Amino acid sequence: MARISDIMTCAIANMLMDGERVFHGVASHLPMVATQLAKTGHAPRLTHLNIAGAVDFCMTPKAVYSSASDSLFQSASSTFDLGEVFDLSMRGGLDVAFLSGVQFDAQGRVNASVIGDYHKPKVRLPGGAGSAVLIPTAKKCILWRTKHDKRTFVDKLDFVTTGGNVYKIVTPLCIFENKGGQLFLDSIHPTSSLEEVQENTGFKLLYDEIKWTPLPTMEELALLRKIDPKDLRSLEFINI
Amino acid sequence: MVKLKSLAEAAAMVPNGSALAIGGNALNRAPMAFVRELCRQQKRGLRLIKTAAAHELDLLCAAKAVSVVDAGFVSYETYFGLAGHYRRGVESGEVIANEHACYTVICALRAASMNVPFMPVAGLKTGDLLTHNDYFMVVEDPFGGQEPVTLVKALAPDVAVIHVHGCDEEGNAIIEGPKFEDVLLSRAAKKIILTTEKIIPAQLLKPKAHQIAIPGFLVDSIVVAPKGAKPTSCYKLYDVDEPALKTFLALENAELAAYLKKGEGWGYG
Repeated sequence: MARISDIMTCAIANMLMDGERVFHGVASHLPMVATQLAKTGHAPRLTHLNIAGAVDFCMTPKAVYSSASDSLFQSASSTFDLGEVFDLSMRGGLDVAFLSGVQFDAQGRVNASVIGDYHKPKVRLPGGAGSAVLIPTAKKCILWRTKHDKRTFVDKLDFVTTGGNVYKIVTPLCIFENKGGQLFLDSIHPTSSLEEVQENTGFKLLYDEIKWTPLPTMEELALLRKIDPKDLRSLEFINI
Repeated sequence: MVKLKSLAEAAAMVPNGSALAIGGNALNRAPMAFVRELCRQQKRGLRLIKTAAAHELDLLCAAKAVSVVDAGFVSYETYFGLAGHYRRGVESGEVIANEHACYTVICALRAASMNVPFMPVAGLKTGDLLTHNDYFMVVEDPFGGQEPVTLVKALAPDVAVIHVHGCDEEGNAIIEGPKFEDVLLSRAAKKIILTTEKIIPAQLLKPKAHQIAIPGFLVDSIVVAPKGAKPTSCYKLYDVDEPALKTFLALENAELAAYLKKGEGWGYG
């Protein structure tokens, strides 16, 4: 039986296309595994970029604790530093960036900065990392978050860290698609329901029709177990 | 001039209130032995500069050494959770968090390395970071282009501390694996302190001149600190020490003070 982390990982992998240049940052194990899955499967000519600068690394069975980890480096085909990845995105050469946040609104904008006032915050969040320059410049930004509740999908953000080329937002309940600056319900995971998504979303859901996220195939699950035997894709689900 | 110094001598070169850039990224190759010594010396008012910070900043905040942070991201990864001491420091008003995009830290350091007061940044075009921070400014293109231009103010570190795999006694340094922003830091900061896993004789380094990440003429001081990045990782030498990090995260503030005072560090200096 597929778990939520498997559904999210496979759904993300299937958003990636062959030949795309794809980047993720730190604390990004789930997209890292999804990118490896896509590259191993349907997108062998995808270029995998990361903070360590290790282009097209292969995940090894050895534990990779950090998604900026040194161990990414040993199987890379070339090096391309973080500053160069940003420069690439600025000149229109980055196809996909994976980013996250703590609050999202109906326009697909992101808060990763603070809860409360910016200068005297109630909660200081980690910060948007590359978001504020990548979301406006990468061609497609895929956001993921392992929480989906009314504190995450809000009517009004406490702070707008950034917004822009958000393509999809993947949660444990569903996938949103950004159409012209408005989030639409793209598909609901078969493990959830329309009612559950609406109950846990702080704005009214928009959708053209109800679609269901495909469950991972047996083949995908087998490949996932091979690529990610330590189950790094589920790390963020610990302590929830 | 002898560049080799003890940890205590080198840390004494960082005055209170310094703008301090720290090498490595997140939980990788942070100069932790040096950071622990800064804590023991009870530094105050440091202004920290880094793209993505984690344990080093959290520890310095726990020791009340930090007053301002310029960073794009501050957190441990995944199940280690948020950097609690940093977070409480900001929420209590003791620490000012200047949130950057990681790229704007890089651009601000590039500006410092070129000795210009600011750097144009493409991409930062929208959102509240632009309006809530005085280190970003949107101006008309002085060359008559139609698009407004975002500028980021230069960040010139007084000191950069970088942990390297090896260097000679002049500081010609080898960094294996990912260099993160360390090469840029070494060009942007006014003073460079290296902590190194080992000293390599100069004649053995000469054939590898093209692999030198940081040339010795830029380096002010060198501290021999084997395992000096622990409990963060150092490429090919050691991985993140998860039990040590978990122990730190469980410490109460009072225990932390006692442990730093004793100077035992994590057993790595």
